Amino acid sequence: MTDANTPAIACRNLWQVFGPGADKALTDALSRSGNDADQAAKELRENGFIPAVQDANFEVREGELFVIMGLSGSGKSTLIRCISQLLPGSGGEIHVDGENVIGASKRALTELRRKKLGMVFQHFGLFPHMTVAENVAYPLRVQGVGKKERLARAQEVISLVGLEGREDSFPRQLSGGQRQRVGIARSLAVNPDIWFLDEPFSALDPLIRRQLQDEFLRIQATLKKSIVFITHDIQEALKLADRIAIMRDGKIVQIGTPTDIVLRPVDDYVREFSKDVAKGQHAKVASVMRDESECGPDDPGLTTAMTLDAALAHCMELYEPVPVRDADGKVVGTVHPSDLAAALQVDDA
Amino acid sequence: MTAVTNIQKQHVSRLTTGAQAALITVIVGAVCLVLEGIAPWLVKWPAAWELPATQWVGTFLDWFLNGIKPAARLFSDLMAYPMNWANLVLGNTPWPILIGIVTALGWYLGGLPMAALGFIGLSFVLASGYWAESMNTLALVAVSVPVALVMGGAIGILANEVPKVKTFVQAVLDIMQTVPTFAYLTPLLLLFGFGPVVGLIASAIYAAPPMARNVMLGLERVEPEIKEAAIMSGGTRFQQLFQVEIPAAATQIMVGVNQCLMAALSMVIIAAVIGGFNDIGWEVLLTMRKAQFGEALMAGLVIVVFAVVIDRMSGTLATERKRYDRRVVWAMLGFSVLFTAAFWAWLPNPSELTVLDPMADAIDGGLTAFTQANGPWLDALKNNSLFYVLLPLRIGLDQAVLPFTWGFTWTPAMSYGLFAASAAIALLMTWRGHLTGGLIVLILIGMLETGIANLPWPFVLTGAAALGWVAGGWRLAALSVGLLCTILVSGLWERALLSLYLSGAAVFSCAVMGGLIGLASAVWSPIWKVVRPICDMLQTIPLFVFLIPVLMVFQIGEFSAFLAICAYAIVPMIRYTRHGLVNTPEEMMEAAISSGATEWQIMRDVRAPYAAPTILLGLNQTILYAFAMLVIAALIGTTGLGQSIYLALGQADVGLGISAGAAMAILALIADRMVQGFAEERRKALGL
Repeated sequence: MTDANTPAIACRNLWQVFGPGADKALTDALSRSGNDADQAAKELRENGFIPAVQDANFEVREGELFVIMGLSGSGKSTLIRCISQLLPGSGGEIHVDGENVIGASKRALTELRRKKLGMVFQHFGLFPHMTVAENVAYPLRVQGVGKKERLARAQEVISLVGLEGREDSFPRQLSGGQRQRVGIARSLAVNPDIWFLDEPFSALDPLIRRQLQDEFLRIQATLKKSIVFITHDIQEALKLADRIAIMRDGKIVQIGTPTDIVLRPVDDYVREFSKDVAKGQHAKVASVMRDESECGPDDPGLTTAMTLDAALAHCMELYEPVPVRDADGKVVGTVHPSDLAAALQVDDA
Repeated sequence: MTAVTNIQKQHVSRLTTGAQAALITVIVGAVCLVLEGIAPWLVKWPAAWELPATQWVGTFLDWFLNGIKPAARLFSDLMAYPMNWANLVLGNTPWPILIGIVTALGWYLGGLPMAALGFIGLSFVLASGYWAESMNTLALVAVSVPVALVMGGAIGILANEVPKVKTFVQAVLDIMQTVPTFAYLTPLLLLFGFGPVVGLIASAIYAAPPMARNVMLGLERVEPEIKEAAIMSGGTRFQQLFQVEIPAAATQIMVGVNQCLMAALSMVIIAAVIGGFNDIGWEVLLTMRKAQFGEALMAGLVIVVFAVVIDRMSGTLATERKRYDRRVVWAMLGFSVLFTAAFWAWLPNPSELTVLDPMADAIDGGLTAFTQANGPWLDALKNNSLFYVLLPLRIGLDQAVLPFTWGFTWTPAMSYGLFAASAAIALLMTWRGHLTGGLIVLILIGMLETGIANLPWPFVLTGAAALGWVAGGWRLAALSVGLLCTILVSGLWERALLSLYLSGAAVFSCAVMGGLIGLASAVWSPIWKVVRPICDMLQTIPLFVFLIPVLMVFQIGEFSAFLAICAYAIVPMIRYTRHGLVNTPEEMMEAAISSGATEWQIMRDVRAPYAAPTILLGLNQTILYAFAMLVIAALIGTTGLGQSIYLALGQADVGLGISAGAAMAILALIADRMVQGFAEERRKALGL
């Protein structure tokens, strides 16, 4: 629907500062520090302001699942609220489908939300006085869609999330997992292009959480939305993400694929996150592949998309480099088994 | 020598805030006592220094009220229509149909218990013979409540939508809640003239704030994510508010509706003092004046029945309720219509029903017999409380101790002896490390010797400043002194002290008694089972009705007023004390038990400190309740501001009415802020 080169969302030098007269204070601080973000943030902090998001720059591509991860208080919830314009943003630009939404009129924002955005909340945000069907149909109701039509559409999404038969229940009669299914269904009711999920599974039991993660991936596989997904759980981030942004104290410290994050952390903070992660389950063979064509005699059948764990299991007793194939079966490089083992080495530091 | 001063300096610098404040108060009090003889202006603010503030207020208000009079009169003319309709409808509907409607409503709201409550309640009203008067009262409530709901709702929504307005609205609501009810009536009287419309408008004004407050609170408490979900669904602000936020806040708003109904009923009955409308409140007043206590009690019970029915039924709105079978509703309504049609010719005129008259007579007779039989005992109770407790508190031991009551005359030597004794106690306590406690003992004994009504004004101001300082810093101290000064210069000081004395005595008794009852209820739950319904009942009854029983037994006078205030103001103390003590977190209890603490140790070391902030809030409520009741109690004989307000109403003296009302509000406000300050400090200390 839009130019393939236009990212779904693009944030440029985005700031959100809290405190009385924050916008002006930010402008002043930036001009004094010569646009040095760290210096400006430090100055703002000293003056009693809270720079919750500092100079965020990233793009979310069409159909990409972009995860923002950080501990509580790192500014990730603030960031997603800036992008969805639940918070106004103190400085910078947010382009949604190529248009800057910062400073957009109320009417334009309402229109944007009615057509293009959907959002899921950590504590579900369900309307307690409406049934499941009414909750899901509400985004259509505000647009003036007729009752019959909107309930029919609600039924579709309710089936999509597997809640058939609970249409007439009230939120208080549902379990946590079921409530979040309603939240997901509601956010999909208008079939938005862009989907915001703010820690959607954090309030759920581990078992239900995994179940919903899997279903979420299933839904995303068919719908191909552009997604901003917030979480504090590294496992969840690695499992779901196309790319991950890691936040700390309002700053994005690293953006990269799950493999990047696990194998090439930029600093100790990120390393600390990935410490407990079984790297072999997340890093792919592609990350340790070499371009050399020289190979040993054995071919255990490695592919680029294989996890390191799986690859290692195939070459347990091999010492020579082995060929690696891509999805089409073409040899694209080689891997030395000792590289696989080295990559899996847990840092003792 | 230098060593000594050094030690003293160190000692002084180690004084706590409380000790410093108490020390200053003691010094000012002592200086006042010493100078009393040569400077009488220290005790009594000279009339020459008074500003005619009351007259200024009166002149200004007269001018202002006359300015808006045409608009007000137009409004009152407009309000007369719905009121006449309501009167017509309620007055002419045959009583079986009305009973049927209320019973059916009860069923719809709360099933069988509520239906039974409605049926029995209205049947009692019918049997009492006050049906017509009750319908007049109900008509007033029926018109004033919608007005109050709309006004309150609009104010609440406005404050929610415009953050700048919010603080202002909250301040106004706070003040409106502390200004005594009668104070409203005087300016309204001037605006609208005598008649039921004044009662209607007063009750609408009085009932709107609880609605506004609950709407604000409800909207504020809607989960942020629910609000965000409404935004992200693409709703306009209007859609967000009316389709999501208000329905999501429904429970809290229904609490507001319940409080609004109760406030309206309460005020409609108080407004009967103005007269001009043959309603049930007027009936109570009339019978009380004629000393027909049996009938007054009967009429009072009718009011209580209405209050209970309205409260319990509207209370179900605020709880999650089952849906009851609509068919039963229709059956009840159908039956009442059929019953009316079938027995139309035989339906008795409800005003001529005398079923319960024998009961009223019996009560009268029984009461006479009771007071005669127990006369000496009751008189002794009343007189002893008056002569040995209330009077010394009011005018001090030096004046209250007379040969004819105490059996001897108070001599200056006794004063010196008393002061010496208190100084000894204070020294002893200081020596044991309780400097602040010792100083407070000194202050209290000094106050008892002088009497609250005779306290020198510099001492009161210093004391208020000291308390304010300890409770909430210099801001509160400045606020207290500033506000008290306005009372001082306006010439209402003496009456303010009298009010302070009576409400102080009542609050003190309530704190002790209520605290003990609350403690007992917390420790042993069977007691709570008995106490709780009594508390519920006392809180539902309109203030006015409290006067009847005390009047019956103790006649007009200060002691009756004191009892009526206590009966009303004790409830929050009981409730909060119990609530605070019962709600100690289970973990803390378990930790104490596993440390091997005994029941009593747990109470003293864990539960009581944890409950302190809650108990202080209860005390705060008790103070506000006492002030509210003080004005009503003026009807049966108190001196002080309450009486001034009541007199002003009789003379339509707006200046005096409003000034005295404001003075009362000031006292309540200061007390409120101070107790809140202490509670806040306790809560902070506990990390809550």
